[in-house]
Amino acid sequence: MQAVIGESKKAFMTGNEIVTWAALAAGAEIMFGYPITPQNEIMHYWTRLAPKYGREFLQTEDEISAGFTVCGAVQAGRKAFTATAGPGNVLMQEPFGMAEAMRLPLVAVIQQRGGPSSGTVVYSQQEVTLTTFGGNGEGHRIVYSTATHQEIFDYVIKGFNSAWKYRFPTFIMGDGYQAKMREPLTIYEPRERGIEMVAPYPLVGKPGHIGENRDPAHLCNIYSLEEELYEVVMRHAADYERIIPEIIEYEEKECDDADIIVVSHGVVSRAADDAVKALRAQGIKAGYFRPITLRPFPQQQLRDAIAKSGAKKMLVAESAYGQLYRLIRQEIYGETIPIEGLFMPGVGIVDYDIITKVKGII
Amino acid sequence: MSLIRIALAGEGGQGVQAIAEIMAEAAYNQNMQTIYIPNFGLEQRGGVSIAFLQVSDRRIGAPKFNKADVVIALSERAIGRTAGYADENTIFVYDNSYPVPEAEFPKKARKIIGIPAVETANNKLHPRVFNIIIMGAAIGLTKIVSFEAAQEALVHKLGYKFEKDPNLKELNFKALQIGKEMAEASLQEGVEVHA
Repeated sequence: MQAVIGESKKAFMTGNEIVTWAALAAGAEIMFGYPITPQNEIMHYWTRLAPKYGREFLQTEDEISAGFTVCGAVQAGRKAFTATAGPGNVLMQEPFGMAEAMRLPLVAVIQQRGGPSSGTVVYSQQEVTLTTFGGNGEGHRIVYSTATHQEIFDYVIKGFNSAWKYRFPTFIMGDGYQAKMREPLTIYEPRERGIEMVAPYPLVGKPGHIGENRDPAHLCNIYSLEEELYEVVMRHAADYERIIPEIIEYEEKECDDADIIVVSHGVVSRAADDAVKALRAQGIKAGYFRPITLRPFPQQQLRDAIAKSGAKKMLVAESAYGQLYRLIRQEIYGETIPIEGLFMPGVGIVDYDIITKVKGII
Repeated sequence: MSLIRIALAGEGGQGVQAIAEIMAEAAYNQNMQTIYIPNFGLEQRGGVSIAFLQVSDRRIGAPKFNKADVVIALSERAIGRTAGYADENTIFVYDNSYPVPEAEFPKKARKIIGIPAVETANNKLHPRVFNIIIMGAAIGLTKIVSFEAAQEALVHKLGYKFEKDPNLKELNFKALQIGKEMAEASLQEGVEVHA
């Protein structure tokens, strides 16, 4: 495939623009999408750039269709993706669930906005529950939550590889701030960094004859027997649990001797990082823990941080009313550390907010 | 350079996002860490448009902030809308081409500075370079980028217009210069210190 970036270079772009460049660099062949703020510019840039690199675009009639066309394209062996936000993410849960059930390497970029329903067009972290466990399935998904423009580029590329390697639907979750803000980063060809892109392959219509020299692909989304569904889901669950250690990513700072661990994800972790540094400078032993993968969740790593620090408290800071908090509680069930929340649904969190909260509860 | 936070606010169409983007580009070109984020609500339907710009030599945290080092408010509504971003360390700049009720101003500010940008643009230059005067003022107040880097970024952004009409380039550079001088003068004069 044609080189997109060439020599690695510095860039100063919006998050949406970066998604497009990363998808091109990752070898994405086609985007299916339906407009919604704040991800619109992903489509805009893609439609402008894709023809230059022989890639394609289809605007579908709605988000349900955008999700299902990705499901179809990847079965045909095309590296396809979509991007959405808010109510579009709600509508896409049906195709996302199908991708889970059929183990389809679907890639979706989610730029969270405020909810419920159409909410605001701006920003939130209110799509955590939806993106990790939405749909009528078991949450067998891979969800990366990015915090910087460099990470948007890195994880979109990585997301395509995770999807095609493990065949679980994969999400790169940002938000309206990350979508719209400009920040410097370095863009590069994956190969230049030693990243080998997994080549797409057809899941159906393979050569040979079923029953003679190959097994059926048997990509099933409807089952006539309850037991059949049970077997498939149990198999998927076992596959998912087996690969968890390979997929999990997290960031941890200053947790060795922390009295309080501040947990956050995505763009809020930038403020948490600054807050922990400022608290340390004031003699308060604060630690920083950030899950990069929200699914699967780095639960053992968080348990280890609690254990080694002997922290007396945990603070969960998020631009939602407890979505990360609930996720953490279920993931570290059994831990007795008191967990407090700094919940600011739909608005940004700055270091000052976290510093003030920590001082109030420690 | 340690972190500098600027909030620019105005009516939709006054061009605050455009100049924030140009300044961000200029800072980036000088190898600074820079974050620019527009307040992307429904300005096109008549809201106040706010641009958040941060420049530093170190990694920048959250994309928005509670308190700014410099607030530039270009309409009466914008003054009210951004007063909350000011505290005792903030330089608060407004356009004094029109009267503003005292109650609109922030309760706390290091300095409140009035700059006759609209009047200067309309009478001495051209109404269309109003926002460039403001950009010059922002640079004069913060020194986030050099004057030359600001000129370069302007050319980069508006080059296609300059090509069509060479007088435009001179007009924009002049506006930038006047804005910068007005800001520097008002800083020295130390006008209107509100505690």
